[in-house]
Amino acid sequence: MKKSFAVFWKRNLAFAKLAVVSNLEYRLNYFIDVLVQPILTTGIEILLWFAVFKGAQSTTIAGFGREFYLSYALWSAFFARIASSWMYEFKMIEEVSSGTINSLIVRPMGFYEYYLSQLMGYKFITTLISMIVPVIAAYYYDLPTHFSRIPLAILLCFYYLILVHTISFLVSCAAFHFTKITSFTVAKNLLLWILTGELFPLDLIPGVWRERLIAMPFSSGVFLPVGYITGRVELPLVINGFISVTFALIILNLLGAWWWKKGLDSYAGTGA
Amino acid sequence: MPNNQNILMPIMSIVIETTDLSREYKSYQKPEGVMNSIKGIWNREYTSKIALDKTTLQIESGKIIGLVGANGAGKTTLLKILSGLVTPTSGDARVLGYRPWERKNDFLRQISILLGQKNQLWWDISPVDSYALLARIYDLDLNKTRLRIKDLAEMLQCSHVLNTQLRRLSLGERMKMEIIGALLHEPKILFLDEPTIGLDIVAQENIRNFLASYVKEKEPTVILTSHYMDDIATLADRLLLISKGNIVYQGTVNEFVANSNKELAQDDKVDFEEVIRRFLETESRIR
Repeated sequence: MKKSFAVFWKRNLAFAKLAVVSNLEYRLNYFIDVLVQPILTTGIEILLWFAVFKGAQSTTIAGFGREFYLSYALWSAFFARIASSWMYEFKMIEEVSSGTINSLIVRPMGFYEYYLSQLMGYKFITTLISMIVPVIAAYYYDLPTHFSRIPLAILLCFYYLILVHTISFLVSCAAFHFTKITSFTVAKNLLLWILTGELFPLDLIPGVWRERLIAMPFSSGVFLPVGYITGRVELPLVINGFISVTFALIILNLLGAWWWKKGLDSYAGTGA
Repeated sequence: MPNNQNILMPIMSIVIETTDLSREYKSYQKPEGVMNSIKGIWNREYTSKIALDKTTLQIESGKIIGLVGANGAGKTTLLKILSGLVTPTSGDARVLGYRPWERKNDFLRQISILLGQKNQLWWDISPVDSYALLARIYDLDLNKTRLRIKDLAEMLQCSHVLNTQLRRLSLGERMKMEIIGALLHEPKILFLDEPTIGLDIVAQENIRNFLASYVKEKEPTVILTSHYMDDIATLADRLLLISKGNIVYQGTVNEFVANSNKELAQDDKVDFEEVIRRFLETESRIR
């Protein structure tokens, strides 16, 4: 048992390293991904909130001032980058539809763990670098930020990332039956754009929908960690986030295991 | 008193066994034209094709089996089922005592499949990085693996490209790298699907010679498919001829040549490829 866990751990560490090594082969692409993209996203969202406050002719929205929203925009761009995996989801779908998955399923390893470890490895190194942007900006512009809360917020977001990966795994299982399924990824990401709270803080949504959306596991991607750092959300809600992600993980992993088997049973070993 | 017969005769065990193994593929038939594409949104017609039809066979350990057939005859399907890539529609198979499509890790650790038309190694990194990853996947000792890579690369005369990104290698160099990757964990069963496809004559011969000496030394069971009959004639102990999903011949290469065309067999310049072609054409007409 101890030996098999050690083997599992070393193997998955090697997958994480693979993500680092293969991404660093293409330096320009990597630095645009980890620095230029987050700076652009942050800039766009900050401009959006400047425009909203100017148009609203008000110093507060839902009880929070402009600085709170600028801080939210700054950190939501950072967390939304951690909490998305469209790049790996496309790769996973492509593996199934093109048949390159052949080389993975005849080896003593799992497709789920292989991509999860790569995703975690890649997100870990990009997070370390990307974090420079919001930290410097928050200091420089003195935006409301509880720096001591950052580690827990990042932990919640990485936990949510496992759920994101599980959804990607389900989508790639669908590729066994439908071959090309990337449009679903795009549609799903648009939906998550709202459900995670990347587009705007979920507590701005009126009525009963606000509680429902915050209670869903998707809020753990952006709204809860960013709300926690910027002071909109307190610890009990963050703990709820961990719990709702856990429930979703159990349900979706059971579904994934079943669908993966169905997919492999119908798989024709494409391309070889 | 030890039994002399047992000392002199190596005990051959059956490592691959199939019973009525079948696989059917369904494919969407799209008639010509835009209107039919629109109609296909809600109404699609599928046809079934039997790629492998109730195949029963036994393969002994340590043998090199040449699996030969025309395009679409079912040889790759058989290879895919035996390696665990594809699940059969019906029938049963045991490889090293395992059902391949259950993909148990203990089974996968003992086999290797090399698909000549597909990369098995990682495209964006160098072969040495790929091998380090494979060592982790197969739980191999890293130092021993490095020595093994060195030996195999020397045998294949490709040590100079071990640190070059895979995508920057020529087809021949890439195939050598793939072969090293496939042999790293010393598989008991090796599935080789057209390992020399697309290579020039010199590269084909290099790989053939390498495989011959490797098999002589390590004695894995090898299932080899190839459209180059030189590969089969040089390497295979036994032949499995397949036509339209059916095994139409099982036996040694020499027996096959002798039985299928006695006149040609007596000729010193017997053309193995020609004999196979005629045999498969006849079988194809019958079925």
